Amino acid sequence: MAGAMTVFRKELSDHLGSKRYLILFAIIILLSTLSAYQGVDYIKNNPNAGFLAIFSGGRLAFSFISLMTIFGPIIGLALGFDSINKERTSGSLSVLLSYPIFRDSVLNGKFLAGVTALASLVVSTIIIMCGIAVPMLGFGPTLEQVASMVALALLTILYLAFWLSLGLLFSVLAKKTSTSMLASVAAWLFSVMIVSIIAALVANLMVPLPFQPLGSPENFRGFGAATQTEEYRALIQMRSEIQTNISRISLSNLYSEAASSILGIRASAFFVALGAQQQIRPSLAQGIAASWPHALAIFVGMLACFVISYMRFLRLEIRPGG
Amino acid sequence: MPERIIQTSGLTKIYGEVTAVDHLNLEVDEGEVFGFLGPNGSGKTTTILMLMGLTVPTSGTGKVGGYDIIKNSRDVRRIAGCLPEAAGYYEDLTAKQNLDYFGQLSDLPKPKREKRINELLEFVGLEKWKDVKVEKFSRGMKQRLGIAQALIKDPKIVFLDEPTIGLDPQGTKEVRDLILRLNREQKLTVFISSHLLYEVQQTCSRVGIIRQGRLIATDTIENLSRGLAKEEGYCVEFELDRMTRRLIVEIKSIRGVTSVVEEGGKLYVHMDRDNRAEVSRAITKHGSTILLMKPQEYTLEEIFLRYYKEAR
Repeated sequence: MAGAMTVFRKELSDHLGSKRYLILFAIIILLSTLSAYQGVDYIKNNPNAGFLAIFSGGRLAFSFISLMTIFGPIIGLALGFDSINKERTSGSLSVLLSYPIFRDSVLNGKFLAGVTALASLVVSTIIIMCGIAVPMLGFGPTLEQVASMVALALLTILYLAFWLSLGLLFSVLAKKTSTSMLASVAAWLFSVMIVSIIAALVANLMVPLPFQPLGSPENFRGFGAATQTEEYRALIQMRSEIQTNISRISLSNLYSEAASSILGIRASAFFVALGAQQQIRPSLAQGIAASWPHALAIFVGMLACFVISYMRFLRLEIRPGG
Repeated sequence: MPERIIQTSGLTKIYGEVTAVDHLNLEVDEGEVFGFLGPNGSGKTTTILMLMGLTVPTSGTGKVGGYDIIKNSRDVRRIAGCLPEAAGYYEDLTAKQNLDYFGQLSDLPKPKREKRINELLEFVGLEKWKDVKVEKFSRGMKQRLGIAQALIKDPKIVFLDEPTIGLDPQGTKEVRDLILRLNREQKLTVFISSHLLYEVQQTCSRVGIIRQGRLIATDTIENLSRGLAKEEGYCVEFELDRMTRRLIVEIKSIRGVTSVVEEGGKLYVHMDRDNRAEVSRAITKHGSTILLMKPQEYTLEEIFLRYYKEAR
């Protein structure tokens, strides 16, 4: 690990002082503050909801979880997408590697620095949200809820670390930062949007719903009745299962599901899409058990990206200037 | 007996179908300023990258400072500083912060590091600029920072890859003076790669000429040009008041004269050895007067162009 700590310290101070990080941090703090207000509002109107609802509740279906699902990738990618190729084009990589350090130390140091920056962002966001919610609600989390928050924080850091390592991979594979940036945007869109769209399309093709023209008055009256039939409910159920399973290709949806389980909400992608959620209040142990495979999948994704970057970087020909 | 600081045997690097460096056998002694001369794309940079352990040779071995460049490349990088081609620095850090980072990477403890950084900034004349971000630096200043960077680990040898490329005459002179001072004051071995003949001539005690990955000559510049003159023979330019065909035939018959060319009212006499006396005697005997007699010398440029052509 010769040099890894030096690279780590330098990269971390670069991140924490960079405009990029500060802007993203500011946006996240602003949005999570708003979502904490909404969560408090939700808890006040739903006496059954526990403290943890500050992370999930909200009339606008906008919460810490959806914030991290959608904006989290941007933060992770932003800290990683140019970490190697920028140094390659500027020529500082060949200078750096002429020092007595191992080549993998560069990658390890950069990755650890990125994870640390992401972790500090996630932890401080959660603390700020609690700091807003506790005085407004007049009560704080129970010990088990604190444990849930820790689990949520770890899961979120893992999810962001996956995006960081994907960004790192792009920065090793692409010579130009513009290429790796485009690849990052494409990966982000794919994960947070395209997979869900495809899932909905496929579900609709496989299990079409009976045709109901919207807006016709008799239909509108009959709509409630039609949705009450067993047959209709079975159809909806099947559709939702297909959609959920397909959307699990995307690690964003996996994260969203796992985070919801930890908070004790059953919210499949389908329900999230509807903006509805069902409070089922299982224990933390149950929540962790349910989210474990998801977390593992995210971890494997992160590891895969890192290992590929590692192998490519060790073999990289360092020709200065490109 | 000076120690051999660089020694390679059969060093080869093949990129795909291109052989960048072809069985290079190179020897550089400690305390030398060695110039590695060759046209663009002849394998100079690749050689330096291999010696510094930044790229793995396809075949062959080498040693820098006694350390194997493949097995102990980290030890090589501990004792060898390098200013790579098109080197870059961290633009949003100051000169001092950049050097501090490199000092940390060389495992220098803090007090020693600070002392060394201040010394080097003074040495390269950047002490006034030490707290300015590198993005504001001119090219010449960056190159001087690069030299400070290459020296921070207190190396036994420094590799400078095209150190004056893209610099104005002032910047070139500053860098050249720094290199000479390094060698003179600190007895540092300097390995410079360049395609600029004049620069090599000004700084280097010995040169190696590389062409298409092959080392075609290694010697001092004087020996190289002398050797070429011997091969090419000797050429003297004569200007006469009167020239006749018979005279030319007569000169041609003198022993040692290989050819006589008449061009623009002047005679160019090529000989395999210096036989000016006999040629001028023949001319006066013929009744002509010598107005000018000038031995023709090859410029360095001609010499090296000749070397490149020869190897083709």
